[in-house]
Order: sequence, then structure tokens, then C-alpha cells
Amino acid sequence: MSKKNYRFDNATAYMMLTPIVVLLTIFVVIPFIYAVRVSFYDWSFYQDSVFVGMRNFTNVLTDDLFLKSVGVGLKFAILVVPAQMVLAFLFAHVIKGMGSKLAGFVKTAIYIPTIISGIIASIIFVFIFDYSAGIANYVIGLFGAEPQAWLAEVRTALASIALPAVWLGFGLTTLIMLAGLLDIPESYYEAADLEGAGSFAKMRFITLPLMRNVILFLLVTGFTGALQQFELPLIMTNGGPLNETTTPNLYIFNHFRNDVLVGNSIASALLLFVVLGSISAVIFKVLNSEKAVDG
Amino acid sequence: MQERKGKVYSLAVTTLLTLSMVLSACGSSNSGNDNSAGSPNNNAANSAEPTVSADNAAANDGKSEVPGEKVSLEFWANKFEPTTDAWFKKWTDEFNKTHENIQIKLTIVPGDAWAQKLKAAQAAGKAPDIMTMSYGNIAPAAKLGQIQPLNDLMDPGVFNDLYDNVKDFVSVKGTYYAYPKLVEPSAVLYYRKDLFQAAGLDPEKPPVTWDELLDYGKKLTQKGIFGLATAQTAADLGWSSWGLQFNSAGHLPVTDDWSKADVDNDGFRALLNFYKTAYESGIMPKQALSAYADATPFGQGKVAMEISGSWSIGLFRNDFKNMLDKIGVAPMPSIDGDQTKPTATLGGWSLVVDGKSKHAKEAADYISWLLAGDPQIMIDYFKTSQFSKFSPRKSVDEAMNQDPQASSDPWRKLIAEKVIPYAKAEPIYTYDISLAFATAIESAMKGESVDKALQKAEKDINDIVAKQNLAGTNPKN
Repeated sequence: MSKKNYRFDNATAYMMLTPIVVLLTIFVVIPFIYAVRVSFYDWSFYQDSVFVGMRNFTNVLTDDLFLKSVGVGLKFAILVVPAQMVLAFLFAHVIKGMGSKLAGFVKTAIYIPTIISGIIASIIFVFIFDYSAGIANYVIGLFGAEPQAWLAEVRTALASIALPAVWLGFGLTTLIMLAGLLDIPESYYEAADLEGAGSFAKMRFITLPLMRNVILFLLVTGFTGALQQFELPLIMTNGGPLNETTTPNLYIFNHFRNDVLVGNSIASALLLFVVLGSISAVIFKVLNSEKAVDG
Repeated sequence: MQERKGKVYSLAVTTLLTLSMVLSACGSSNSGNDNSAGSPNNNAANSAEPTVSADNAAANDGKSEVPGEKVSLEFWANKFEPTTDAWFKKWTDEFNKTHENIQIKLTIVPGDAWAQKLKAAQAAGKAPDIMTMSYGNIAPAAKLGQIQPLNDLMDPGVFNDLYDNVKDFVSVKGTYYAYPKLVEPSAVLYYRKDLFQAAGLDPEKPPVTWDELLDYGKKLTQKGIFGLATAQTAADLGWSSWGLQFNSAGHLPVTDDWSKADVDNDGFRALLNFYKTAYESGIMPKQALSAYADATPFGQGKVAMEISGSWSIGLFRNDFKNMLDKIGVAPMPSIDGDQTKPTATLGGWSLVVDGKSKHAKEAADYISWLLAGDPQIMIDYFKTSQFSKFSPRKSVDEAMNQDPQASSDPWRKLIAEKVIPYAKAEPIYTYDISLAFATAIESAMKGESVDKALQKAEKDINDIVAKQNLAGTNPKN
């Protein structure tokens, strides 16, 4: 009898899994395998494709620009993710302390950038950083400074496109942080108060450990998202100056657009997949999440 | 300014939302030109439509009609200015009306989406029968079998009507693969006559050497107005500096057989120094006010001299009418003042037939009718573009010389006589090479020494040659 029940459960499970497995197979697994296959060819749509072995991969790996683009992606992620997390963490505390009406308003307000398309945000910030008529140069002009070439100067370009990225991701990060904060039972803090713990000790021993999974989630999604950033540099700088803002995806896109054969683009996309996977693995390892801490 | 930019951008944004990508210069070469030179407001020119003479239409009809089933063809055209889009629509409708057996389905594809959409369609075997293609892409596409030879599909006479240099743009070793629609030189000097006068310069004597250009730039720079604007990012320099590469060194940075880099010479050193001096002396803005293809800042009065393509004439005539009498047009200055040296490449667009098209004959008939048939159809196009683009066909120019509006246009005359005859064809090698050289120019502008920048370009170009096995593969060599 128990055997029968067991079978029944399996059937239900498989049935419920089927849609997602089918969809994943069609839209992820098959294209992925196909991409791997194509990456070994000089893929042409009109003539027979020529097998070239690992050449596409060696070409990408020996391309200084690809390595540089991965470096740019990492620098960009390091500019964006920590700044965003710290700001969101602080702001989530501010919201937590607000009255419910005000908190509702603030939560809606800070979420607005999230629903703005990255393209539109890029254009807004292009206006802000405009050399002769932008607000940024107007403001520093009030203090008597010379106009800055925010998007054309090697020194400032990457930071200038990191700013809109922080702005765009801030709302969602804050809300997820807030949800994590509200999930921590008040009784822990009350107990800590009775023991005479200060704010810092409460943060160090209660808030941060209990937020670990939230922070892990935000770090992994933040890093992979930032490394894959594409539309901000595409619109704001076109990868310039001197490729200082060419992120890996922009590199791939430029090859896809300009190359006659697409092998290089596919090989670099697969290599980027490896890079992203390794970085996520490192973050998981460092934060040691398999022992999920339970509230 | 915000308003105009807003228009251009909102146009871009609409296309982008669906595709999440935008490029300031699209396609492998300068397909961005026409997009950013967009002139949203001018439909007035359309009202003066010439009518196709009944005889002509009838003659064409007779030639191309094939008895039997109705053939439906896909035609993808790059999105250009609204006037050009309207021209495509108008004359395609006209073609469909007069050709019972052929139905052309026109799709206007934004430049940003072009590569993605076309590659997806090619991979699926569903590429359009007819499409627009820029000159630089024709030879590589022909080599890969992506487009069909037209010699047997079109009346050979129509190719004799082309100017000799343009014949070369659309053919590979004597075989024609495309029919050209227009040419437009990539570099022309626009300058403000009133500001010249105010600075004590003769408004009828624009600079002819690079030194003069830099010197005038210095005299014209004042608070709020930059003396000179030209390309200053690698993405823009990649294609806009081709003409000046010919001008300074007499050749491009790779040997004709594509076997190795050819950058170590005084011409290129002078070229890099020119850009470096222009940038470092402060006569150019430190950050581009707009992309090279978009001369809006000049129209807005923020720049005293602007180097841009001939397409900017259309922009000025449509959007900055009050500035027209202050604007002077001249050939781009040359390294030594010799104005018969090339300073520009001739960009432009042609129509091609897809390599897998099942109705190549009908597709070629449409191209013949639209681009190679009645000159009035093309004259209508050049009129709506405000004579900012030029005809590759002798017969169209002859007919246009009879047209009072066209023949009395001094800017058209100047560019047709003093720029186009000396302009060069766009290179057909991979854009990576152009970018490598452009990066050298940009790094010199950003403080790198000219010699080091050129050494890096030499190494990069040799790398590209080796990795892509380019040596000896030039289809035109």
C-alpha cells in the first residue's frame, strides 16, 4: 500500500515538473548545447560551416580586450554592489523606524527607479553628464571648478556609469533588505536590551548574522547583474574612453555586430558564463551558505 | 535643445524598449549617419512630388511582368530619416500598384536592431529577399554567398550609368553584387561665417591646411563656443577618420593584401598629432557634445567649425533654418593644403538580393525599377533629403542639372565638384582594424605619446590579421 502511494506521489511530482523541464529544455538546454557545438565552427548561414577546433576560444582568451572587459566588469561590480548594499542597508533601517503611512510612501518612492528602463536611465544620466549643459558641470561650476568630461575621461567614466547602476538597483535592494530586517523577531532585540547590549552589538550579533541569506542573495544577484551590465555603457559611453567601460556583454555585442562570422561572440559568451559561475561559487564559498542560518 | 534631443532620443527609446540596445554608430561602418542626421520635421519637400511619366511606368511594367502567380517579396530597409522612410513607402506602394505579379512587403528596421534581426533571420533561413546594405559590407557578404550576383538578373545597361568609382563599390572582380542608391562624403567642413568675421577671419576663406584649421580653431574659441568639433571617440573615429588616413599617409593602416599592419610612417604620425593638438589645445570640448554623425551642436551655435558628413546639410536645412545664411561649407582641410587629396570616404547605401532568395529575378526587377529606372524617382529622393546626398548615376545628375532647384544649390555644387571626385571607397576589411587604429588616435588625444599609440596599433592590427587569417583574403585584391 505504501508502495502505491509512493508511485502516486512520483507521478504528481513528475507531472508538475514537466512544464518547467520542457520549457527549460527548449529555451535553455538545447540552445546551450547547440551554442557549444557552434563555438567550434566558423559558423556561416550561407555556406558550409568549417570546423576550427578551439580557435574561437583561443582567439578570445588571447584577446587583451576580452580580458580587459572582464576586469572592467569586476571593477564595475565592486563600485556598484558594495555601495548599493550599504546604502540600502542603512535606508532599510530608516524605513523600519518610520510610521506605517510614511513608510508606505517612501517604499513606493524608492521603488520607482527599479521600474525605469535602463535605457531611459542612461539617457537621463547622459543629460546630467553633458559637457556644456549638464547639471553635473553646472553644480561644480557653482563652486568655481572647471567643467569635467565625466564620460570621456578615463579617470571618471566607469564611476559615472556606476552611479546610475546604483540608483537603478537601490530601490529593490532596499525593499529586500527591509523584508529581511522585518523578518527578525523583535524578541531578540528585547532580550539584547535586557542584557544591556548597545546598538552596535545588536547589529553585529543579531542583525547581520540573521541577514546572511538575504545578503548572500543580494551579493550573488548584484555581482552577476553588474558583470553583465550592458545598456548603461552602450548608451552612455559606447565602451569608451579607450575601452575603459567596455563590459563583457558589450564586448560580445560589439563582436556580434561587427564580425562577419559569429564564432567569436559565442565563444566569448560561453567563457563569460564560466567567469560568472566561478564568481558566484566564490561568493557562496566565502559566505558559507549551505548551513543556512534559521531565524 | 532639450526638445530636439528629446525627439531624437524618444525615437531611439521606442525602438530600444523592444530590443534593449542602442548604438550610436551601427552596422559595421557608418550606418549611424543617417539615423542621427535625422530630420524629424520635414515633410514639406514631399508635397513637391514629381510624377512618373506614364510612358516610363508602362515601359518598366512590360519588362518586368512575369506571367503566372503573384510573387510576394520581403524587403527590409534600414531606418533613416523620416523623409527617406516615407520615400521608400511611397515608391514601394507605387511599384506594387503598377506590378500585378509582384508584391513587395516593406519593413523598416531600426539600425540598432538590424544586426540582431538580420542574423536571426539568416540563421533561420528567413532572410528578406531584398535589403539595404552599406558599401563596406558588400564584398565580405559576396564572399560568404550572402548576396547574389546581379549581372544576369539586371539589364547590364543600368550599370554603365554608374560613375566609375561607384562601380567599384558595388562589384567584386567585375561581378556586380548591389545597385547603389546614394553616396555621401564622410567629411565636410561647416563653419560659421559670422563668427569668422567677429574673430577677424575672412569668411570667404575657410582653412585649407590642418595647421590653419587648428589656428582658426584657437581664434574662434570663446566662452560657450568651441572652435572645432569632430570625432573624438574610437567608435566615431573608426570610420570618420578613413578619409584623413588616405589624406595623410596615402593608404590605410594595413597593406593591400591584408598581410600586415602598415602604420609606421610620418603621415599617420602627423594625423595623430593633428587630433592630439586639437584635443589638448582646448579648442575641442573635452567630452563630445554629440556623436560625429550628429551636427546638432553646430546648429545650436555651440561650435564655430564642425567636421561632419554631407548629411548634416539636411539637418541644418530642416531644423536650423535661421542659421543657414551664417553657415559656410568647405572641403575638409588637407594635411598640406592640397585639396585634390582625399579627405573623405564615400559612404552610402545600396540594395542587394539575398543569397537564398527564391525569387531573385523579381527582387532584381524591383531594384531596377526603384534605383535604376526613371530618374525622377531618385530626384524625388534627393530633393527630400535636401540635396545632402548624392547620386551614383550619371543620368540622374544630368536630369537634376535641368532642375532649377537642384542646379542652383551652391552647397550641392561644391560637394559634388570639390569633395566627391577625390573621395575614396570605404575599406572592406574587418572593422576591428579600423577600431584598433581609431583607438590609437583616441589614446594620443588622451595623453599617450604618438609613437607609443602607433606601436600599439601596429601590434593590435597584426594580431587581428593573424587571428582572423586575413593575409591574402582581400576579395578585391
